[in-house]
Amino acid sequence: MKILKFICLFSVLSISCKVNEEKITDTPIPIEEVKYDQTGVLFPNYKGLVMAGYQGWFTAEGDGAGRGWHHYQKAGKFEPGFASIDFWPDVTEYSKTYPTAFKYQNGENAKVYSPYDEESVDLHFKWMKEHNIDGVYMQRFVSEVKGESGKKHFNKVLENALKASKKYGRAISIMYDLSGSTSADMAFIMKDWEELQTLFKIYDNKKNPTYLRHHGRPLLAIWGVGFNDGRKYTIADIRKLVDSIKGPTKKTSILLGVPYYWRTLTKDTENSTDLHTLIKTADVIMPWAVGRYDASTYTDVAGTTLPGDIAWCKTNKIDYAPLVFPGFSWGNLKNDKSLYNQIPRAKGDFLWQQIAGAKLSGAEALYVAMFDEVDEGTAIFKTKKEGQTPLNGDGKFVGIEPDLDSDFYLWLTGEGAKWFHGASGYSMQKPVRSK
Amino acid sequence: MKKIKLYIPVFLLVLTVIACKIDNYPATDAQLYGTFLDAETNEPVEQDIIRGSTIEFIEHGYASQTKQVMIVKNDGTYRNNLIFANTYTITPVRGNFVPTEPQEVTVKGETQLDFKVQPYIRVKDVKIEKVGTKVVATFKLQQTVINKVKKIGLYAHPEPAVGEPIRTVLADQEINTVSDPNKIYRLEIDVPSNSSNLKTGNQYFFRVGALIDAPESKFNYAKAVRLTL
Repeated sequence: MKILKFICLFSVLSISCKVNEEKITDTPIPIEEVKYDQTGVLFPNYKGLVMAGYQGWFTAEGDGAGRGWHHYQKAGKFEPGFASIDFWPDVTEYSKTYPTAFKYQNGENAKVYSPYDEESVDLHFKWMKEHNIDGVYMQRFVSEVKGESGKKHFNKVLENALKASKKYGRAISIMYDLSGSTSADMAFIMKDWEELQTLFKIYDNKKNPTYLRHHGRPLLAIWGVGFNDGRKYTIADIRKLVDSIKGPTKKTSILLGVPYYWRTLTKDTENSTDLHTLIKTADVIMPWAVGRYDASTYTDVAGTTLPGDIAWCKTNKIDYAPLVFPGFSWGNLKNDKSLYNQIPRAKGDFLWQQIAGAKLSGAEALYVAMFDEVDEGTAIFKTKKEGQTPLNGDGKFVGIEPDLDSDFYLWLTGEGAKWFHGASGYSMQKPVRSK
Repeated sequence: MKKIKLYIPVFLLVLTVIACKIDNYPATDAQLYGTFLDAETNEPVEQDIIRGSTIEFIEHGYASQTKQVMIVKNDGTYRNNLIFANTYTITPVRGNFVPTEPQEVTVKGETQLDFKVQPYIRVKDVKIEKVGTKVVATFKLQQTVINKVKKIGLYAHPEPAVGEPIRTVLADQEINTVSDPNKIYRLEIDVPSNSSNLKTGNQYFFRVGALIDAPESKFNYAKAVRLTL
């Protein structure tokens, strides 16, 4: 009996040994990384590019988007005293405009544009080309595109932009803005991204030769990870999202929009080293600098932050795109007149200080916030000058400095782009525009 | 009384035994040393031994997370021969280089840990010589950050640890400007007017430094030069 038991035990043991052996020798088949056809691709690498963020979230009554005066209006109204914008777009060159309830001093009706219109987005890309600005990141607000009308709007703006980017040879990439998102939205983003690929053939080098690529793959930007402002999603959620977007074949390169103090995990940043672990899985990072300094504090703040960030990224083989912005103003949005020109533009001195600061600190690319952001007054596109803006009840609109041309900030950004492209003759000294 | 007399030696003996027990903790068993190196040139980054760059280290395994500090010698090297073998979080702080990140390091036996850093300023092409009755220093500055250079200085002391904090004589200048890499800066010390500290025939060490205008920054230096006056 004992012998029988022993034989049984021995045979079980030998089977288990065999199974174990098989497991050890069974090496997984390596998954091959996807390789894209790069023929005709105009922007195979993020390096050297100066690209702006493109909000594209404005709509006008009657533009077909069915969203009223979205992002222009306040409290459901767009009339004197009720506006969320601080800068008024200069629509002189737009072929399609919309009259508003606002009037200029001389009684003339003030008009706005809508990016829902193909011709308006076309004009924006034409300006980019004229001023050597490499292209834009199309903002895709998760909280907006979750709804049907938001999705319809942002898809139309994206369609306009993809077409115009091809026409004018400007780089284009999509950036999900996660503000207001929850953990549950990660699945939505995955689905939405898949949908966009099918709808617009983003990975197709012939259909979209201007879609930005990096490390041989199309680049998708995800903005808003690691901020300690009480967001309803976690770093772990974004980790899963990045993993699933990249997939085992590494389909996509990822740019992450992170808080300014991401490296030291202080101030605006969640104190979690998980953020660093996540960043190491991405390809590029862009720290959010808007509001982190003004002209007087810039050097103290950025002087050591920029080279520190760049050294960290080099060590960890991540690319780095610092952010620059022309100024900041959100008096109307926040109903607080003291916030008009909160961070003054100083005729471009502030923007150039950052462009030069980034370049001289060793940055290789720039993110400009933003092309068309008039709610927070960071727009570089053509806006009305001080003294020529429409009237706004007992408030006002902030104009760009009256002695500048309305395209001055486009021009100055373009000068920065030329410097980043390798042109010589640039320094800390703001370039002078010859007439 | 006899009893008390008996108690005292017993009490003392007990005290001694307790004291011995406390003293019986293990001794430090490891050494940690290294150099601050310029990440680009691989040259040592000169420092100040007092009020200079500091290395903070936290020993793992203790809830208190107490920060201990090490100082750095003028030549950019540091050494701690009284450290316990363990894992530490080590961070160079308040230095004359771009801030770096904490790193986890296992210290065991003789452990070398060099820090590759980006010095704020490289003091280059330094010439310090006696010209007539003066000691004249000429040098160039290569700054690696966009901040202004606050101050430049020529420092003298009988010891090689000379620098801004350790000097008997100095010639300094607030320049508060972004330096031009091609400009030759010049500083001079007049020997006769400093005769109480600089005696003819004696040897002194001279060192040129520059301070960047950044939070908590420290002076960057070239190597000290020995001159006989």
